[in-house]
Amino acid sequence: MDQMQCVDDEVRNLVAGILELEPSQIEGEARLVQDLGMDSMMALEIIASVERKYKVKLPEDELANVKTVNSVSEIVKRHVH
Amino acid sequence: MSTEVEAVQQLDFEAVKQIIPQRFPFLMLDRILEVRPGVCAVGLKNLTGNEWFYQGHFPKRAVTPGAMINEAIAQTGIVFFHYSREDDAEHDVTYLLGAIRMRFLKPVWPGDQLRLEIVPIRMMRHSAMLAARAFVQDQVVAKGELLLSAKPNREL
Repeated sequence: MDQMQCVDDEVRNLVAGILELEPSQIEGEARLVQDLGMDSMMALEIIASVERKYKVKLPEDELANVKTVNSVSEIVKRHVH
Repeated sequence: MSTEVEAVQQLDFEAVKQIIPQRFPFLMLDRILEVRPGVCAVGLKNLTGNEWFYQGHFPKRAVTPGAMINEAIAQTGIVFFHYSREDDAEHDVTYLLGAIRMRFLKPVWPGDQLRLEIVPIRMMRHSAMLAARAFVQDQVVAKGELLLSAKPNREL
């Protein structure tokens, strides 16, 4: 498994854990708010967990564009390497 | 004097009540020893044997309920978040506790003085994830994390 796929899976697991869903229930293009029921506190928990796991600080202006699970992975990949 | 030093504030009981809407029996802060916006806050709660919750917790041996320690931590977090939010953020808000994960390490007794320390993990415009530790003297009695949100009153 390459590193990018690994990030995708880790982010999916992390999001699933916070949203109290099974990872298999989460599709990459699922919208965090509309489809998965994420609220502002869960969003903060996801951001904080991702930043802690990957030791990055995600810029707030970019976070505004994070709407789907895949876009969480994308922003992580942009800042991890 | 540096800006950081100027930003440190102490709040007495009356000043705390200007920020915290809770009142008896749920006001669990006597004083803020310091609050540095964006950096930390330290709250103080003196526990007397006369606290209302000792009547039932427990009748034969008073011990401070973890829920009330959580409340003291959350209220210190509210003061911190209040001072740390951006100047242009809406301030006609109600602060809501979204989650709290706390480990209670030692029992807290009547007569103890709780010192509540808050530092930010991650803050955004309307929500904050905070790390908290509660001390009695120099011993950590509880530690964990909490999530707070600032909900505009017009949306409630």
